[in-house]
Amino acid sequence: MKQRGLTVTGLVLACAVALSGCSGSISRGLLPHGVTDQTDRITNLWNGSWIAALGVGVLVWGLIFWCVVAYRRTKDDIGLPEQLRYNVPIEILYTVVPLFMIAVLFFYTARDEAALLDTSKKPEVTINVVGKQWSWDFNYVDAGTFESGTPAQLTGKPGVNATLPALYLPVNKRVEFVLTARDVIHSFWVPQFLMKMDMIPGQVNRFQITPTEIGTFRGKCAELCGAYHSQMLFQVKVVSQGDFDARMAELKAKGNVGLLDNSLSRAKIEQRDQQYVPKDRSN
Amino acid sequence: MSTVNLRPSVRLDPPARRRSRGQTVVKWVTSTDHKVIGNLYFITSFAFFMLGGLLALLIRAELFQPGLQVVDNPQQYNQLFTMHGTIMLLLFATPLFAGFANALMPIQIGAPDVAFPRLNMFAYWLYLFGGLIATAGFLTPGGAASFGWFAYAPLSDVAYSPGLGGDLWVFGLAMGGFGTILGAVNFITTIICLRAPGMTMFRMPLFTWTILVTSIMILMAFPVLASALLALGADRRLGAHVFDPNNSGAMLWQHLFWFFGHPEVYIIALPFFGIISEILPVFSRKPLFGYKGMIFATIAIAALSVSVWAHHMYATGQVLLPFFAVMTMLIAVPTGVKFFNWIGTMWGGSLTFETPMLWALGFLTTFLFGGLTGIILSSPVLDFHVTDSYFVVAHFHYVVFGTVVFAMFAGFYFWWPKFTGRMLDEKLGKVHFWMLFFGFHITFLIQHVLGVVGMPRRYADYLPEDGFTWMNQVSSAGALLLGASTIPFLYNVWKTYRTAPLVETDDPWGYGGSLEWATSCPPPRHNFVSIPRIRSERPAFDLHHPEAAQYDAPVADQNVLDTLYGAPDLDDERRGGVPPDGDTTDHDGPGGDAR
Repeated sequence: MKQRGLTVTGLVLACAVALSGCSGSISRGLLPHGVTDQTDRITNLWNGSWIAALGVGVLVWGLIFWCVVAYRRTKDDIGLPEQLRYNVPIEILYTVVPLFMIAVLFFYTARDEAALLDTSKKPEVTINVVGKQWSWDFNYVDAGTFESGTPAQLTGKPGVNATLPALYLPVNKRVEFVLTARDVIHSFWVPQFLMKMDMIPGQVNRFQITPTEIGTFRGKCAELCGAYHSQMLFQVKVVSQGDFDARMAELKAKGNVGLLDNSLSRAKIEQRDQQYVPKDRSN
Repeated sequence: MSTVNLRPSVRLDPPARRRSRGQTVVKWVTSTDHKVIGNLYFITSFAFFMLGGLLALLIRAELFQPGLQVVDNPQQYNQLFTMHGTIMLLLFATPLFAGFANALMPIQIGAPDVAFPRLNMFAYWLYLFGGLIATAGFLTPGGAASFGWFAYAPLSDVAYSPGLGGDLWVFGLAMGGFGTILGAVNFITTIICLRAPGMTMFRMPLFTWTILVTSIMILMAFPVLASALLALGADRRLGAHVFDPNNSGAMLWQHLFWFFGHPEVYIIALPFFGIISEILPVFSRKPLFGYKGMIFATIAIAALSVSVWAHHMYATGQVLLPFFAVMTMLIAVPTGVKFFNWIGTMWGGSLTFETPMLWALGFLTTFLFGGLTGIILSSPVLDFHVTDSYFVVAHFHYVVFGTVVFAMFAGFYFWWPKFTGRMLDEKLGKVHFWMLFFGFHITFLIQHVLGVVGMPRRYADYLPEDGFTWMNQVSSAGALLLGASTIPFLYNVWKTYRTAPLVETDDPWGYGGSLEWATSCPPPRHNFVSIPRIRSERPAFDLHHPEAAQYDAPVADQNVLDTLYGAPDLDDERRGGVPPDGDTTDHDGPGGDAR
């Protein structure tokens, strides 16, 4: 009885926390607030998977705890318990039921990953992000301009964010990121996109998103790329179309005309991926 | 039906004179005795464990707050986590498997030694010197390897990571890898060829089964690592271009490395599952539940482990995601079977909580969470966000630490009398357990959140505005407690070595099942004076508990499923037709009057 009381209290507490609304991050399963058209899809699968996983977890922890409490050997116990060796029906049960559970997870995984990685639509903006030790080159393919970033100078004090190179995106426009690398492997991660993809020298990776919210978001390199890996930071500025165009003009006015070509990289892009390499359309 | 001990084991008198220290050293370094080699593996791998732990404490100290305080530059930080990972996986966990296998497996199958004692010794020395070479990078001017323990090309090439440290890492690990391969050959041969009469495959203790399956996995995975490392060495020293990105070398390395790397995770997990499978029955006073199911689950995990390597590469955009996702998810099924069988072993048992049992329960609760986050990571959709973040760091520490370290200490406390002839102190053991348990969970539970909100792994520094600081501080405080938990253990070892009495019985725990509990503590040079008759998977238990026959339930009992669905309702028929003395069916249902 006491056990049940404890469990109920725990459940009530958990619900109270979940419903208190004060932190929306609980309803997102602690994920960062998503800012693209894909983030709801990812958050839903995340939450569903966690509910299922924790359900299984609570069951199994509960069974372990139950064994510890209920089958404790007391001072009065003598002899041995029944020497039970197996029980085929129940073994089959806990082999087959998990199969169904992963079938469900796989179904949603396959559905969502196909949507997430779909690059068949024609993007409205194409940006070639190039990873380099230890910063980023942003090639705005349509506008024919670029920005070349430099590594962050970390001081351990606030205020570094404003100095980071910025990737500009127009809001509500479908963007295709064409990811390449100059030297070693890097990984393009914007936590609030809930998405990352590696940049591999000699190869081209692509994915598309539509940013849905104006704002400034953090971006990081997520694959170890050498000494100053943790300084390979950038920021993403999602702005209105007008501000985006103004930024493009500003970059061009600085003399950043054309693209920082991928032929500057140490490794040649392999034949298979040549078709995806953006070409400078300005000249 | 009682088991008769035909040839009771004879206790050998302890040696009358102690060897001098020098004699002991010579005896140990020249020994081909599997028990001595097992001890060498234990001591060496534990020393590497403490070195790796020290590096981890430096890492946690550096991350305590933004800015660089502990290391002089981020390159040093990269050396710390590279060598931490390398040491923990390849110089601690893998050889620890060889240590347990050496120390126990021959005794468990009733063999006098391993099949190739000198090959065994050679394998140990390859490991020791390979490990020393790999870590010697710290003594070179450029420092140790700093390209991460999975050494992605082209970062690991000489153009991006020059210096002797990287070369020593590559060739040292290749050398140690050959030691592991030779050890595996030896274990397989021993298990196939040297089992005692009556020790059929399906009477082998589960630990021995896991050693067999693990050794087969080593033969599949380690040659791939060895060839990849030698090719990387050729790139670094001989100007070869195997992993040159111009030849798609970056992805080639990842495929080769993870084709080794994923089975490696199970190589260091399965033997430790085996240890847990040995301990739970003893302290539950029941046989292992679903023994054959356990074996088939072990084989299934091993088989699946070679078809999931690319789940480490979801974010590369270069792998067939659905295939690797479904194979990865399938691993949950045999692992779940193991979990439920462990619970089934305790179910209806008579449990006591000596230190080894405590560690086994700590393993169950900890590893379970690592398994659940593994399911989350198996889905590429979710993996994209959290891969290469602290979520993954937390996940694999729950899995690998939860398995290797918890089960290692479970095994140490459990078999210490078998290794040394003395018991470890129970009270200190419990202090050790609770310190480590809380230290571990404080360190790593919060790291899941840290990763989800956006902290990448392998970052030497982060921004104050990131909001990571308090979580890193919780984690670092936990790490200190975790590191400090080693002190009661070392004190325990020292204290019991000096003061604990010698164990006089074969089985100090009282309910041991496998053959090592049917010989003295420690066993004589060739392990047995006599071997009891082997007629089940628990020969020592049958020997010491002939009264257990009356509790035996070779046929599964009738549970809810059976009564609802399985058997026809023939009670009346039975009452009418069966002679009273011929009826052995238990009419009282599960657990009836068996107690």
